Amino acid sequence: MSRLLECNGLSKNFGKLQAVANLDLTIAKGEIRGLIGPNGAGKTTVFNLLTGYYRPTGGKITFKGEDTTMLEPYQIAQKGLTRSFQQNFLFMQSTVLENTLTGFHMFCRAGAVKEFLHTRGAREFDRECREKALEIIDFMGLSPMKNELAGNLPHGHQRALGVSIAMACNPSLILLDEPVTGMNPTETEEMMTRIKNIRDRGITVVLVEHSMQLVMNICDRLTVLDYGQKIAEGLPEEIRRNPRVIEAYLGKEENSAAA
Amino acid sequence: MSKTAKLTLLGILFLILMAAPWMLNSYVLQILILTITYSMLGLAFAFTLKVGLPRFDIAGWWAVGAYTSALLMQKAHLSFWLTIPAGIIIAVALGWLIFSVAIPRGMMVFLLFGMVIVLAVEQIVGSVSFFGGWGGTGMLPHPTIAGYTIIKKPDLYYMGLFFLIVNILIYYLLYNSKIGRAWNAIGSSVKLANSVGINVVRYRMANVLIGNVFLAVAGSYFVAYSSVVAPSTFSFPNSVNIMMYVVIGGISYSLFGPLVGAAIITFIPEYFRIAKEKEPIFTAIAIILIIILMPAGVIGIFDRRAIPWFKRVRWLSWFTNKAKES
Repeated sequence: MSRLLECNGLSKNFGKLQAVANLDLTIAKGEIRGLIGPNGAGKTTVFNLLTGYYRPTGGKITFKGEDTTMLEPYQIAQKGLTRSFQQNFLFMQSTVLENTLTGFHMFCRAGAVKEFLHTRGAREFDRECREKALEIIDFMGLSPMKNELAGNLPHGHQRALGVSIAMACNPSLILLDEPVTGMNPTETEEMMTRIKNIRDRGITVVLVEHSMQLVMNICDRLTVLDYGQKIAEGLPEEIRRNPRVIEAYLGKEENSAAA
Repeated sequence: MSKTAKLTLLGILFLILMAAPWMLNSYVLQILILTITYSMLGLAFAFTLKVGLPRFDIAGWWAVGAYTSALLMQKAHLSFWLTIPAGIIIAVALGWLIFSVAIPRGMMVFLLFGMVIVLAVEQIVGSVSFFGGWGGTGMLPHPTIAGYTIIKKPDLYYMGLFFLIVNILIYYLLYNSKIGRAWNAIGSSVKLANSVGINVVRYRMANVLIGNVFLAVAGSYFVAYSSVVAPSTFSFPNSVNIMMYVVIGGISYSLFGPLVGAAIITFIPEYFRIAKEKEPIFTAIAIILIIILMPAGVIGIFDRRAIPWFKRVRWLSWFTNKAKES
């Protein structure tokens, strides 16, 4: 398996707090990787580092063989690494279709002047983008509400829309930050199928999630973080039995006895 | 509204505006000329608000355009029409220098830079004698076109109308292009815009500099109808007033909000002229009432899609939301 994303010795300090410490992570092409750990373990910080929202204090990130450590978020997105956010960051005043179309920003280039003058070529291009956007909306199961304002959607659909915006960027690696938070079991079930489908489209997926059901079911491999350090990595089965992981989640034996 | 209905309405509006000089006396026409200038300033504010940046430096760039035109006409005896591109070039070049420092540092720094620009421009043109000092430049020559001097109110009005329509047309085309979509994205969430590969700094810079172009034009236009240019016109309070046009008209109506707002704010004081020195008090009360009663702006009450009024108090929540994000 070829390496898509690699980080070596990745660290991030906020003052004296070490949010991520010396993390080595390798993501292979075509896998679904779960990033788990107790609250405050630094999972989202890792995402922010990988996508350029935070500058690492140390270490190196390589994506598709290129060094992306010091790049701006939009440059990393242009290289094909996109993400969804933990909160519902959407263009709330726009419709679902417009939201997804914004994701096409990098591709639908008819040229600034043509765009500006609304020439036939530009309109043609726009129609192509619209079709592609509709396809993604359909893929994420949002077609019945494609003309609704994003702000008026229920929570579950807003999460799905967040993913479809990221999908519209035509990424080769997509980072999903808690894709099923606040969803009911049916919605979670649907999202699980969709994440698998995303992988089947040839997009590598890394996800942060608290729902163990989801993580254990769909992830090929898991990486467990605790206090910014990697404490385990491997197949879901191995992780389930790993004593260090259980300790991180439930606390040490002595501690619980003392309490 | 359907597309044809919209076009018909715009056509009627255009005809009324074209016929205005025959129906109105020169006093009202003068107020209309002011309205046109203020509309262009308000448009620039709404324009940059699209990318999530509140501009407080509008009067400053307006002054750059006005002083360039005035001084070039007065000292170098250049034709008025040549001073317009000169003003644009200076406003864009200076703007690029200043904003390449301010824009990458986010919304708050941009806002503070704006305030500094207005105050600095007012001080510089006031205290450096080259610019004419606090009393303003001397009498200015009038613009001419093929030997014909543009001095009558209707001519000046048509000239302003031309500038305004070009301004609106270009803004309209920009709003409806891919650039406009990217601007909208930046305005609603910087983080998300970044994540879809939009270069926020570059798009914001383009927006602000295009705004500067039309601010410089508005400055030149001011020179055309005003016989003297003085620093007090470009003061900080005036810059804040411009924000009011946008709020009164309706902050989410980027094209017509500033026009309606500018018209209302220019005409209200005229109605209260009768109260003499107490006029500002009445004007202020009227503005406060408009804001309380029509939180979505004056256009908002005609907008059928409008959401409940308590959700429409966006101009207040706007700043708090943006401050959190960028």
